[in-house]
Amino acid sequence: MAAVSPARANALLLGVMVFAQLLLLSASVRSGIASNAVAGAAGTASQPAVAAERSLSAIAMSIVHFFRDLHSDRTEAQALRRQVDELKLREARAGELLRENERLRLLLGMRTDLVPDATGASVLTASLATQSQSIVVDRGKDAGIREDMAVVAWGGAVGRVVSVERDFARVRLLTDPNSGVAGVVERTRAEGMLVGRGFEPMDMLYVPKFADVAVGDRVVTSGLDGVFPRGLGLGRVSLVGEPIGASKAIRVEPEIDFRALEDVLILKSPKGTPLLAPEAVDSSP
Amino acid sequence: MIALWAAAGIALALVAELALGRLLPGATRYVDFLYLPLAAYALRRSQRSAMTVGCVSGLLQDYWIEPRLFGINGLVKTVLGWALGGIGARFDLNSLAGRFAAGASLSLLDEGLQAAVRRLFSDAVAPVSPGTLGGRALAGGLLAAGVLYIVNRAGSARRKPAAPRRKA
Repeated sequence: MAAVSPARANALLLGVMVFAQLLLLSASVRSGIASNAVAGAAGTASQPAVAAERSLSAIAMSIVHFFRDLHSDRTEAQALRRQVDELKLREARAGELLRENERLRLLLGMRTDLVPDATGASVLTASLATQSQSIVVDRGKDAGIREDMAVVAWGGAVGRVVSVERDFARVRLLTDPNSGVAGVVERTRAEGMLVGRGFEPMDMLYVPKFADVAVGDRVVTSGLDGVFPRGLGLGRVSLVGEPIGASKAIRVEPEIDFRALEDVLILKSPKGTPLLAPEAVDSSP
Repeated sequence: MIALWAAAGIALALVAELALGRLLPGATRYVDFLYLPLAAYALRRSQRSAMTVGCVSGLLQDYWIEPRLFGINGLVKTVLGWALGGIGARFDLNSLAGRFAAGASLSLLDEGLQAAVRRLFSDAVAPVSPGTLGGRALAGGLLAAGVLYIVNRAGSARRKPAAPRRKA
């Protein structure tokens, strides 16, 4: 039997490896990364390296925070003194407004617990490549995290959970080309769908061409996608172009700087909290 | 022994990649540390070892940072390991310029191959600006040239025989 040349043997090996990995890709598309046995093996094999990385990064982060805090402490103390004086004045007025708010809520039958059930999480690592933008957070199945939960930070939407392991979860950011979130222009209530474009501003699709949208308008979540509660900041309109077909061409700059994310909130429930309780919506004249 | 060194190299690259994602997430746009073991094995060892190292490092990268397509980085790095290993076997790329060219071309080809595989699986593909491509090529080239230079120096220092003792 003729011996196979090394180049041919390598080409054959390449074919086998490519075929095997295409099967892996198909399996992950069909049933997700978390249920993949090879992914599980990769996770187990890399645990020691990742544990070392977490310790080293935690030390590095604490050193960075120490010097940052040292620098900002003095100016912050002066600013805080001024703020305390202002807040004392506001507190008196806020108390009165709160009582009035409660009275009106009771009158309208609105929910009082609008703050959704949420879990805080720290960002373990981020990958902001052009074709895939995601973060990994340090809360997983053990903390009750599930797929499709919304992730937010400081009032703005960040992304949604796409796969969950025992002690961490992968979150697809809004800027990922495969993400989509239902948005509404705050000023005129024009609705559309925001789609990520990597490092370019997000596209706002399906906004009727006669809708009133201007550069600088704020876009917030509409809650129609069933993932995000409504009212979370998404971004500001940076460009309104010529209509394409029946829709306006709109670009939106994200509100959150995804490069500076350290901590996030994962909204466990309810999905898309309605502002009005169903029993409060009275259709009778 | 070779497998141990490969495992250590991949582990170090993974640690660097994850730490970069936590400490300086914006830099992950340009830098991919997991190309370093692949380039090292393609330029210094064989095509087969480059493919294997690329496959393993890519799968680990997929597990930690790919949200949907588990295996995409493994596939892309296997193909790039085969290509660079083949070129490395024909030409001597183990010089500063060769390492730079290898790092830069790996980064550029990665963008193209990733986009092609994502399209194959009906994923949306984002536009890539020339600035991003240039930044990736430059960062990849500099990183490969710098790190592989250090690895080569460390390797040759380890192999250097001890100086003979002076006679009293």
